Amino acid sequence: MSTPLEKPQIIAHIQKSLNYTVFDSKWVPCSAKFVCMGNYPRGTGVLQIYEISHGELQLVKEIEKPKPIKCGTFGATSLQQRHLATGDFDGNLHIWNLEVPDEPVYSVKAHKEIVNCIDGVGGVGIGDGAPEIVTGSRDGTVKVWDSRQKDTPVANMEPVEGDTKRDCWTVAFGHAFNDQDRCVCAGYDNGDIKLFDLRNMALRWETNIRNGVCCVEFDRKDINMNKLVATSLEGKFHVFDMRTQHPTKGFASVSEKAHKSTVWQVRHLPQNRDIFMTTGGAGNLHLWKYEYPGQRSKKDSEEVDMGVAGTVNLLQNVTLSTQPIASLDWSPDKQGLCVCTAFDQSIRVLIVTKLNRV
Amino acid sequence: MNGVRFLTNSRLKLLRSEHICKWSETDKNKDPVPRDYKDWDKFDIEKECAKVDGVVTNNSAPTIINRGLPKVLRKLDTSALTEQERMVLANREKDKGNEAFKTSDFEEAVAYYTRSLSVLPTVAAYNNRAQAEIKLQNWHRALSDCQKVLELEPGNAKGLLRRATVQKHLGNLQMATDDVNAVLHIEPHNEIAKKLLNELNKKMTKRSPEKPAKGKTILIEEIEDEEEEASDGAVESSSQQRVGGESCAAAAAGEERADMGNAQKKPHGRGDGGGARGKGGSADKYTVTPPGQARDKERPAGRGLANGNSTAHQGESTSREGGEQSKVNLDAPAGNLPPQLARLKNEGNHLFKNGQFGDAIGKYSLAIDGYTESGIDSPEDLCILYSNRAACYLKDGNSADCITDCTKSLELQPFSLKPLLRRAMAYDSLERYRKAYVDYKTVLQIDISTQAAHDSVNRITRVLIEQDGPGWRENLPDIPLVPLSAQQHRREEPPSAEEAQARAERAVQDAARKAEARFTVLKSDGNECVKKGRYEDAVGKYNECVKLRSNECTVFTNRALCYVKLERFAEAKQDCDLALALEPENKKAFYRRALANKGLKDYLACSTDLQEVLRLDPSVQEAERELQEVTELLRQSLAAASPGKPRRSVPITEVDDTEESASKGEQDSTTGQNHMDQSKPSAITQPANAYEFGQALSAARSHDDTEACAKLLHLVAPETLPSYISNHLDGHTIAFIMQALDGHLLEKAPSLVYQHLNHLHTAERFSVVLMLLDKDERRQMTQLFEHLSAVESEDFSKNDVQNLANKYI
Repeated sequence: MSTPLEKPQIIAHIQKSLNYTVFDSKWVPCSAKFVCMGNYPRGTGVLQIYEISHGELQLVKEIEKPKPIKCGTFGATSLQQRHLATGDFDGNLHIWNLEVPDEPVYSVKAHKEIVNCIDGVGGVGIGDGAPEIVTGSRDGTVKVWDSRQKDTPVANMEPVEGDTKRDCWTVAFGHAFNDQDRCVCAGYDNGDIKLFDLRNMALRWETNIRNGVCCVEFDRKDINMNKLVATSLEGKFHVFDMRTQHPTKGFASVSEKAHKSTVWQVRHLPQNRDIFMTTGGAGNLHLWKYEYPGQRSKKDSEEVDMGVAGTVNLLQNVTLSTQPIASLDWSPDKQGLCVCTAFDQSIRVLIVTKLNRV
Repeated sequence: MNGVRFLTNSRLKLLRSEHICKWSETDKNKDPVPRDYKDWDKFDIEKECAKVDGVVTNNSAPTIINRGLPKVLRKLDTSALTEQERMVLANREKDKGNEAFKTSDFEEAVAYYTRSLSVLPTVAAYNNRAQAEIKLQNWHRALSDCQKVLELEPGNAKGLLRRATVQKHLGNLQMATDDVNAVLHIEPHNEIAKKLLNELNKKMTKRSPEKPAKGKTILIEEIEDEEEEASDGAVESSSQQRVGGESCAAAAAGEERADMGNAQKKPHGRGDGGGARGKGGSADKYTVTPPGQARDKERPAGRGLANGNSTAHQGESTSREGGEQSKVNLDAPAGNLPPQLARLKNEGNHLFKNGQFGDAIGKYSLAIDGYTESGIDSPEDLCILYSNRAACYLKDGNSADCITDCTKSLELQPFSLKPLLRRAMAYDSLERYRKAYVDYKTVLQIDISTQAAHDSVNRITRVLIEQDGPGWRENLPDIPLVPLSAQQHRREEPPSAEEAQARAERAVQDAARKAEARFTVLKSDGNECVKKGRYEDAVGKYNECVKLRSNECTVFTNRALCYVKLERFAEAKQDCDLALALEPENKKAFYRRALANKGLKDYLACSTDLQEVLRLDPSVQEAERELQEVTELLRQSLAAASPGKPRRSVPITEVDDTEESASKGEQDSTTGQNHMDQSKPSAITQPANAYEFGQALSAARSHDDTEACAKLLHLVAPETLPSYISNHLDGHTIAFIMQALDGHLLEKAPSLVYQHLNHLHTAERFSVVLMLLDKDERRQMTQLFEHLSAVESEDFSKNDVQNLANKYI
């Protein structure tokens, strides 16, 4: 890394302004297309499919839906089907066949309030076991869905009646390395992070990072859980080493002050789990690399194993917009290609170079 | 249609029945609110402490470590997938493997590579898995992966390189070398391959002399080894391969030498004894199991006999013992034991091998009883019997009896290895560590290569230090001194004359290193003194330097500077001369000699020196200035024939010890003779050291005074000439010496000339200098030898001269 050019560069490849507020974007697996989800000014929802061809974005399809769409995922669908699961402002979970988008393949009134976040596992070759979708909502519940089961979730995580319900801002699957084991991590507006073990249906671990948790993501969904990144409202993010769980101290973590504003999202590179991008409230992107410590666990004073956190190195940063970048999605197929959406009503296709050399 | 596929695919996966997970904020251990001041009055320490304790005990759940791979499927069901899906999946699993590999989770990496391969076999995944297996030291699996790679893609460099690594660790150095050479053929600049090749070559060369040494290592085998059949050979060798591989893996840190050792022992070490020791027992070689008989090693002949007889007794024993034991010859004679006792012993051995230790004890006891009754005198055999019974006791966990038997055995045969080792183990298991320590130490005295003893000594040392603190050694019983006779035949390498020589050499080198260090210190001290203006001290330091090493030019130039500063010009000049003798290119020396000459009012010499400096480096302004001044002085002195004006002091400040940094000038080697020195050394005395000799010689040379040189040579003993000349020999010196010998010494003392010549050619750098001689000098030399051969003398013949001449010309 002697010269600046040796570092990965973040290049804004294509930028396109939209006439609606875009919340989320996702690559369609094994294609050069991606889907944007958002909210028309008139209060309806929109799905747009774009294709990159000859360095331009071409709108392939535009679908209008009655409710604004907040989030979506391809995580629980097979590669052949590539059905998109979305959550909307009204608390509905829909699964769409994008070829025939008039009626959803699956539909359920999942939550009483807006579905803030969605994640899927068990599809597109990621994770063994059943294809499942998890949704988190402002109503304080986190629910796991199986598209083979109508109307009711296969798992429901909520506080006991009478307790204050916190707004769930983010959910993520992880630990899905075989048919049985699976974990869901959820982050709440009060800074709580809860890790649910779906196999034992128990709250396995919880912590509080003092500020609202904007995004959590495991570095890989389909391995023995390794790392978890949680970003927070006030500009910090935390990386937890999930390999060693101490009975009292939990997981070791390292935190880094990344942006001067909210860290909206974190996304790990699909081709290298130790590299991830965080998106900031001031329109900037930071590319990070996690370095493991020499020993990932040590004995504490009572001879109990405890984890050791590594360090994070900033590889590159770039400012793209004046508005928050609300979502980012790496292409699962082409290393370094990603799409991000910002609240300046634009989508950007980015290329990050030299990722294979870091 | 898609819908159908969805169902078929998902039918495999179980649907989660509905679960609800609830939590409550209230039962969490919230941070306590700070106490009110008033509360502290009512504070009950006991109760609070109990509360804290309670919290601690509640949290004593074990750490959950998400390591290892308990339930990762090694094979993925891909029946319903298209080619493209498989490719995506295989790639993804491979990526996961790579990531795990990067974090050194090699087992996990292997699992993911295996998954990837189960979806779609690719060269990359095989290659990567091979690498991960290498890291895990699963050599054989790594080997098969490498083979697959090479089947799929012959000439894959990575595959070849990895196979080479594996072969290296398996001890197949030749095959490894072939593979590396193949890699280098494909990629001639592959650094890793080059390194590996170097290592291999080193190992190969090391290995051949190592073979006999290895054979000497004592094999601590189970007692079963006596009954083994040569016919087992083939089967055994394959099982040994496996065992060897495993023990490699078990040698945790993968200590390479140990691995190699194990691997190497397979092919040889077993070849001797006509397959009598065909049975491995190699698994036990380094493990802490009761070892076999110490005496086995010492009587290979006896065992060969036993083996030879075994075939003869074969039929008999087969009929008696039945098919199962057909291979065991129970009547093989054992040492001097009468047949019935030998049989008992062999039965005992056989039972021991089968793990029936109690029965074996019975047999051995009978044999021992019988031995005392029979009244034969063969302590070796009794010793073995006791030792074997001790092994059974040890296996049975009856350490006390084991100790008694070992002690008896040792009374009969002091310092035999196996009983000692067994007793040490027994003591060890009884936690009588001090005695165990002593026994292990004794074992190590007998055979330093007993790995089990080494390990145990280390472990026990730790235990004892923990028990007794730093003074643990004081509580130990005495460690008996093992007589040399018991040691020598077990030593891997008896200390040889070579070793002693090597040691001496090392000592010399050490001394040289120390002198070097001291020299550097002194020199820098001297330089420091100069900088501070304490020239007297500096001269002292430099004098010491010269004593340590008389061939360092900078010391002389620096000392010269000091002398100049101290206005001791004659000495300064001498030093400069010496420096120039050492390094005829030295610009500083010339400059300082000029200053010294100026101080001595020898303006002519001074100006010559300065001109020399300027000729070589015209940019030296000080020299130019000096020259002008001196020319002026010279003119005055010549004109008025009177002493010039009072000396002017010249600021000289540079004290660099590296000659390059000085910006003075250079000169050439021939100028040495051109200088007119005014202080002619009148009387030549016998030089006491190289320094004095060098001074005298260069003085003589600077005047072209061959007579002085002849005198000098006359005074010097011919044997010491090379050491006086040291490494200062150059072509001119040789020619000068030749001249002196030819012109002055040959008539007076031809035998001395011969002696000198006979020794001169042993001087350092002689051959190099010889090559660089010019025509004139060669002619002189030939002349000298012609003259010498013309002289008749009793001390040498014409032949001798001819031989000597061959060395020179």
